[in-house]
Amino acid sequence: MFKNDERYWDINLLNKWFAISSIIFLAVTVWIFVDDNDDEFKDYQREFRKMQVMVAQEKLEQQAEEINTEKIAYENALASAKEDFNAKSEELSALSNELSSLKDRHYNQNMKFQSQKANVEALKFLVESENVHNDHGPSSRDNYNAALEKLDILRLEREDTEIAIALTESKIKKIKSIVKEKQEDLDKYTKQYTLTKNKLGKLDRSRMTMANKLGDIVRDLPILDFLDPYYKVNQIVVADVKYDVNFAAVPVVDRCTSCHLGIDNPDFSEAPQPYTSHPNLDLYITSKSPHPMNNFGCTSCHGGRSRGTSFVSSSHTPNSSEDKQRWKEKHDWKVNHHWLTPMLPTKYTEASCFKCHNNTSDLAGGEKINLGLTLVDQAGCNGCHHNEDWPTLAKSGPNLKRINEKLTEGWVAKWVKNPRHFRYNTRMPSIFEQPNQESEEVTAYNNVEIAGITEYLFKEKQKNIGSNRTKYIGDPVNGEKLFSAVGCMGCHVSEKNPVDAPHINNYKNLTKVHGPNLIGIGSKVSAEWLYEWLMNPQAYMPDTKMPNLRLEPQQAKDLTAYLLEDKNTLFDNLPAHDFDLAILEELTTNWLKKSNPEKVAITKASKMSEEEKLNFIGEKSIRHYGCFGCHNIDGFDDAKPIGVEITEEGSKPVGKFDFGLFHDIDHTVPSWIENKLRTPRIYDRGKESEHLDLLKMPNFYFSEEEIEAITTAVLAFNSNKVSESLKAHNKDPDIYKKGHRLVKQYNCQGCHLIENRGGQLVEHIGPPEYGPPNLNSEGRKANPDWLLSFFKNPSIIRPNLQVKMPSFHQINDEDWDAIISYFQHIDSENINYRGIHQFDPLSNEFAAGAKLHEIGQCNSCHFYGEEFPTGDPPTWAANLALTKKRLNAGWVTEWLKNPQSIMPGTKMPAPYVPDSEILSLEGAENDWGNALVTLNGDTTAMLDGLRDYLWNIKGKTNIDALIKAYFAENGYDFDSDGGSDFDDEDDDWGDDDDDDDW
Amino acid sequence: MLETFKSTIDYLSAPTISFSILTVITPILFPPTDWFDKINRKLGFYLLWTKTGLVAAMAAITFFFIVGYIDKNFNVILTKADNFPIVLMVYSIYYFTWLAMHKAYINDSRIEQGLKPSEYNDPDDKVLVWPDLVYIEFIALILFTVFLVIWSILVAAPLEEPANPAATPNPSKAPWYFLGLQEMLVYYDPWIAGIVLPIFCVVGLMAIPYMDINKKGDGYYSFKERRIAIFIFMYGWIVLWLFLIVLGTFFRGPNWNFYGPFEYWDTHKVVALNSVNLSEYFWVKLLGKGLPENILVREFLGFIVVGGYLFILPFILANTWLKETYNTYGPTRFVALMIFGLVMLSLPLKMYLRWIVNLKYFISIPEYFFNI
Repeated sequence: MFKNDERYWDINLLNKWFAISSIIFLAVTVWIFVDDNDDEFKDYQREFRKMQVMVAQEKLEQQAEEINTEKIAYENALASAKEDFNAKSEELSALSNELSSLKDRHYNQNMKFQSQKANVEALKFLVESENVHNDHGPSSRDNYNAALEKLDILRLEREDTEIAIALTESKIKKIKSIVKEKQEDLDKYTKQYTLTKNKLGKLDRSRMTMANKLGDIVRDLPILDFLDPYYKVNQIVVADVKYDVNFAAVPVVDRCTSCHLGIDNPDFSEAPQPYTSHPNLDLYITSKSPHPMNNFGCTSCHGGRSRGTSFVSSSHTPNSSEDKQRWKEKHDWKVNHHWLTPMLPTKYTEASCFKCHNNTSDLAGGEKINLGLTLVDQAGCNGCHHNEDWPTLAKSGPNLKRINEKLTEGWVAKWVKNPRHFRYNTRMPSIFEQPNQESEEVTAYNNVEIAGITEYLFKEKQKNIGSNRTKYIGDPVNGEKLFSAVGCMGCHVSEKNPVDAPHINNYKNLTKVHGPNLIGIGSKVSAEWLYEWLMNPQAYMPDTKMPNLRLEPQQAKDLTAYLLEDKNTLFDNLPAHDFDLAILEELTTNWLKKSNPEKVAITKASKMSEEEKLNFIGEKSIRHYGCFGCHNIDGFDDAKPIGVEITEEGSKPVGKFDFGLFHDIDHTVPSWIENKLRTPRIYDRGKESEHLDLLKMPNFYFSEEEIEAITTAVLAFNSNKVSESLKAHNKDPDIYKKGHRLVKQYNCQGCHLIENRGGQLVEHIGPPEYGPPNLNSEGRKANPDWLLSFFKNPSIIRPNLQVKMPSFHQINDEDWDAIISYFQHIDSENINYRGIHQFDPLSNEFAAGAKLHEIGQCNSCHFYGEEFPTGDPPTWAANLALTKKRLNAGWVTEWLKNPQSIMPGTKMPAPYVPDSEILSLEGAENDWGNALVTLNGDTTAMLDGLRDYLWNIKGKTNIDALIKAYFAENGYDFDSDGGSDFDDEDDDWGDDDDDDDW
Repeated sequence: MLETFKSTIDYLSAPTISFSILTVITPILFPPTDWFDKINRKLGFYLLWTKTGLVAAMAAITFFFIVGYIDKNFNVILTKADNFPIVLMVYSIYYFTWLAMHKAYINDSRIEQGLKPSEYNDPDDKVLVWPDLVYIEFIALILFTVFLVIWSILVAAPLEEPANPAATPNPSKAPWYFLGLQEMLVYYDPWIAGIVLPIFCVVGLMAIPYMDINKKGDGYYSFKERRIAIFIFMYGWIVLWLFLIVLGTFFRGPNWNFYGPFEYWDTHKVVALNSVNLSEYFWVKLLGKGLPENILVREFLGFIVVGGYLFILPFILANTWLKETYNTYGPTRFVALMIFGLVMLSLPLKMYLRWIVNLKYFISIPEYFFNI
């Protein structure tokens, strides 16, 4: 022991301290390892492994059962083959002995041959030297020749042995192959089972050998796990999606699959989160889908922190407050404040579609974003909020330049004050009477503003809204019939009861109210104006979206009568709009003060007459509230939008949004947008703002579904970009987007089904054959030349339709071109100009077509120029003389093959075509004619022939006058009954293959 | 009851009040003269350095943090990983100050009784490097490593998002050890608060051994033998540095506004900041004229004040109040002492001028980014 005397401290005590602290240090070091390796995702992976074992086991059992019975046959075959093999064992051993002795001999022969070959080469050199130089001694030529000869002999000997070897080998192989073949058969049959078994063997530790078991444990030990661990971070590096770190863009690294382990495996569709497979594997994740996981990753659509490997660090965002509560309890969830792009709540995931599909709102599978984008257009958001990626095509409200001919000032003032007093579901948003304008002071200002706006709109305009003379008014009862028959309901409803009004939760319902809900019209316009408008909307408003329905004057009168019948007495009885003159003075001064010193402003205001002041306030207010965003107003043709640009609104950091002074709204971007849409002035709560500084976004009274859809769209407008190569819209020409937007703008889908959307009018009319046609395959179907001429001047195609394609004279050629190109593009049609389809009227096909035509009785429904069909009007169909002008030849054959697949519900039956069996029957030539028999059941050839026959039909192409005259005389009574009385007997011919009548 | 406590603390935490309290208390806690010592004895402040004082003060600090932890608003700030060192700092400042003062008081009384300080290890005052020093250092090292490891396991590093010039955090705070400097920025131009003052701190600390000619108190704890030096150092270290760090951590919220510890950090809070330059005081308020065009004329008063403070005042002091000091230290040491001392003193002076008369700058030449 040492002496402690010289030491200041007691060394034994220090030793103890040292020992204790070292032990603690060791413990802490162990803790580091535990903590370092105790990742959340590993728990999930362990759990998933168990589930995989279970699934695999189930599969294995199932497969074992499946192969159980037949497997025995295979095994027996193998066993008998083995028996055979055993029987031949003596023969086999004899053969092997022989083979080995042959091989020995061959070895020896080969050695001899090789050494002789070397000798020959050496002698060859000597002989060649001799040939060139003459000063050599004795000639080697003889030796050389002798050596060559010997080499030949050796070679032949060797070859003999080689042949013998090959023969013996093949004998042995033959004996062995019997067993091998059977074994292969068995293996092939049990392949799936074996695969599953192997897989299970790798998963399930209890099935492993001792060594593998040990290896399975060791591979996941700390430090050693850098080699090939089982439990590891799974990641997808998505080269085409970049994460912007402000000074550089780095590829996104998605580690989501570290926990979402079953995401691409349909076996886990019922498994709990996070193992659930993706709900739409046909569209996403799998390598066969259009969005394979390796190219798109996860966060390119969902957002969130891609490198996170725990629930919280990956920035999950709850979809609802219940989710939030549950997550908080279960996962200790909290907002990841330092991550600026949190995951999109699942209800808004569709916002990400827009990154790569920004040229359509008819995206298959994207109902919410489709509705949202369409609403952005319809509500006219872009009128105030500029948007680079989804710009507006037209102002969404009516042109007000000739308002004086349509409305009275009194009506306009009441309307501006609160449009919903007149029409409960108007698209016109409410600017006034909003929560932040409730104070008496602001209400007084607003009243002045309303008066000013009205005054300004009617400034220097002759006020004449036309008369209500009876010469414009027809029969309202017939008008009501016409309202639903001629196609008004493609865009309008007339629904007084809010409960029955279309609830806008999908695109189809939105097309119903593309135009205003036509109620209370009697309190709004005069008969003269309405009549003129119905006869020719463009005469009043050249840029209107309302088409010309080419009504007969009497029809227009009837409709006028019907629409004017309904008056809104509540609105009529509202007191006339009033305002306080003193406030007018004050507001004028306030506005003047913005660009003048107060004294000057007061003087200026005092010099103005009341009318001047109102006009001044009107002009200022229209600019202030941005009325020109939706309406064309004199003096505001070049005005700039008043709202915030929303091109990248979705990626604005949450800190840039003003949530106001209250804390009851979640501080997230989606929730800000939702609340802004629900109550646009909500963020003014509790603020002390001057009247002109109040929030001014008007209230659209969107439904909750609309809010969700629009929020999705606004979130879609963001700066999170992906590489050009991923963008689907790059594959479509720009004209596609334009055509698509025009189709939306003019609400083509109100009447027609396009890209599987729309066509609600058909439902009002009854059986689909009396409604506007669906436009499936229109791009391949219609000859573009004819289609343009039809658009410009629609003629009757289906004679029995009362509803008719209206004339859109406001659409110019450029836009028609875009629309036609759009149709062609959705049907992958690339040919714009077509020559006349050529055919040989003497060909066999043509003759066969003629025969088919004859037995098909096409003329019972179809017009042949001016020749009427033999059947009744309800079954009448298109004029076949027009076919060659109207349709593309290729499409016609396709149509004839199966009309139902192109136009479900059509009355057109597929023409009966005999098959080769029928045609080979005795006497077929008699029944079917030589031409058909020759074609021997070649359907395409026969239908081509029929088509060519149609091309040969001559006659007048435009038979409008004829048809109109017929219906003028006989009326359209049949279609209101749904046409059921006229179910013709021809309906189901062609469906029965075994029909002896033919 | 608790609410009253919280609102009292909130009220007292305001920089003006808390800084003033500390400025008044420091000379009483560390009395530089007999007069202050008398007050110390009278008020019983010396009890703080007794063992009971330690327990009481630690209990008080812990009580404050427990209340803070329970409080909804303070909890957010207190539990931030960034702010954990400050909590440790508050404890350790007090503990180590207590340790030094506790031992110093014992030694002081021993010396008064004519005994040697307790650190003397008679007969020959010798301690071996090995094992006496190195061994305990080694043990301390291991234990401290253990502490750091546990800290790093339990509290995740406060990493934030990639820097984004378009989205700066509000408040934007420096690392905790620089928060004192950031607080100075409120009162001084960046070049002074960010460059000159820190350089003076470092150089001044390095200069101490050369300026300190007091041979007493060397190798043992003692207060009485060097009480002025300890007072000045403690004021600079605790009030002008550590307190500013605590202030910056706990009491500065969005827009660098002051928030009491229990107050909600409301981003919308607006505080009027109407500070006025000395030149404006003189020309506009006093003389009722506009500011002269010539910069030197405009700012002449500022130059006089600053020049007088830094260059004339030492001479006056050397001949009057600090004549004795001047004689003891000699001209070179005295000038160095004055410069460092006056620069240090300029911080509280400026702070009070800002709070009392809204003084923005003595010299304000924004044209050349030169403001004092």
